[in-house]
Amino acid sequence: MAKAKRKAGEINSSSMADIAFLLLIFFLVTTTMDVDSGMKRTLPPIADNEQQQQDVELKQRNVLMVNVSKEGRIMVGTEEYMPSDLNRRGDHSRMSREVLDFLAGADRSEKKSTDIEPGTSCEISQGVVSLKADNETKYNIYLQVQDELTHAFNVYRDMISVQAYGKPFEDLNEIQAGNIRKAVPVKVSEAEPNDQTR
Amino acid sequence: MAKKGKKEVPAMSTSSLPDIVFMLLFFFMAATTMRDTDPLVTVSMPEAHEITELDKKGLVNIWIGQPLQRGEGDALKIQLNDQICEVSDIQDLVHDASAKKGMALSQMLINLRVDKTATVGKLTDVKQELRRAEAYSISYAAKTRVH
Repeated sequence: MAKAKRKAGEINSSSMADIAFLLLIFFLVTTTMDVDSGMKRTLPPIADNEQQQQDVELKQRNVLMVNVSKEGRIMVGTEEYMPSDLNRRGDHSRMSREVLDFLAGADRSEKKSTDIEPGTSCEISQGVVSLKADNETKYNIYLQVQDELTHAFNVYRDMISVQAYGKPFEDLNEIQAGNIRKAVPVKVSEAEPNDQTR
Repeated sequence: MAKKGKKEVPAMSTSSLPDIVFMLLFFFMAATTMRDTDPLVTVSMPEAHEITELDKKGLVNIWIGQPLQRGEGDALKIQLNDQICEVSDIQDLVHDASAKKGMALSQMLINLRVDKTATVGKLTDVKQELRRAEAYSISYAAKTRVH
C-alpha cells in the first residue's frame, strides 16, 4: 500500500476580511460613542400643606434669591445682571463671583462649624441659593445660570478642601472627596411652580 | 541604461487585511456602547462648564425636543422609553423603566435632555411629575463648553 504524506488542505482565508468588515460595519451602525454628561441635581419631595407650614423658616441672610426673567435678565439679591455677566473672564463670571461672595464672605451668609471627618471641622456657610425662573424663560439661559451657581459651589468646595486637607478638591482621594461633598452640598433650591406668578 | 522589458507590478499582499479590520472591530466593540433607544426627537443641547460624566447604569433619558417625524407640528415633544408621550404619562413610564431595569427609583438617575430653546415652564412640568413619581435624582444633560 502506498503511504503518502498528505497535506491537509489549507482553508482559503481570503473572505476573512469581508467577514470582519461586515462585523465592523454592524458595530459601527448599532453602537454609539457619546458619553452622557450632565449637571446633577436632587429634587425635593413634594410637601403636603401641613409639612409646608412646619417648614423651618430660613434666615433672611442665608438665602440668596436668584430670579431669571423671560428676557434673560438675572436678579441676584437686589442687583441686576445681564446674560453677558454669565460669561467667564479668567476663572469666574461676574455672577459666580457674587454667589461665591455670598457663600464665603464673612459678613454674608451664616457660618456653622461642621465636622468634615472626626477631628477635623470647618466653618461652613449655611447659605442656600433659591433659583426662580419665569415659565417663558429659555432653558439655555436657565442652564447657564445653574452652571454659574454650580461653579460658585465648586469653588467654595475647593476653598473648604484646602482648609481641611490642604489641597484642592480634585486632588483628594475618594473618601475625602465624599466627606467634602457631604459637608458642602450644592444647595440650589429650584422654586415650586406655585410660587411663581403664572 | 535601464533594461527595457515588460515589468509586471507584483500583486499587493492582502493577507494582513483581516488583522487590521479585526483590530478596528475590537476597538469599536470596546469603545462604544449599544444604542438602546431610537431618538424620535432632536435636541440641540445647551453647553455648560460644570458637568460630570454620568453612570450608564440606572440612567433613564427624557428628551424634550423637536419631533423628527413630519406632521407632528412645531411644538416640542417629550420622549421617554422609545415613545413620544405627554406630561401626564411620565409617572407611569418612569415606573415602567425602573421595573424593566429592576432597580428602585431612588437609585436611578433621570437624565433630562432638553433642547436649549425649550422653556423653563415645560421643564418644570416634567420635574413636577418626577417629584410625584418620587424620582428625585435628576441631571441636566449638557455638552462641554470650551470657552
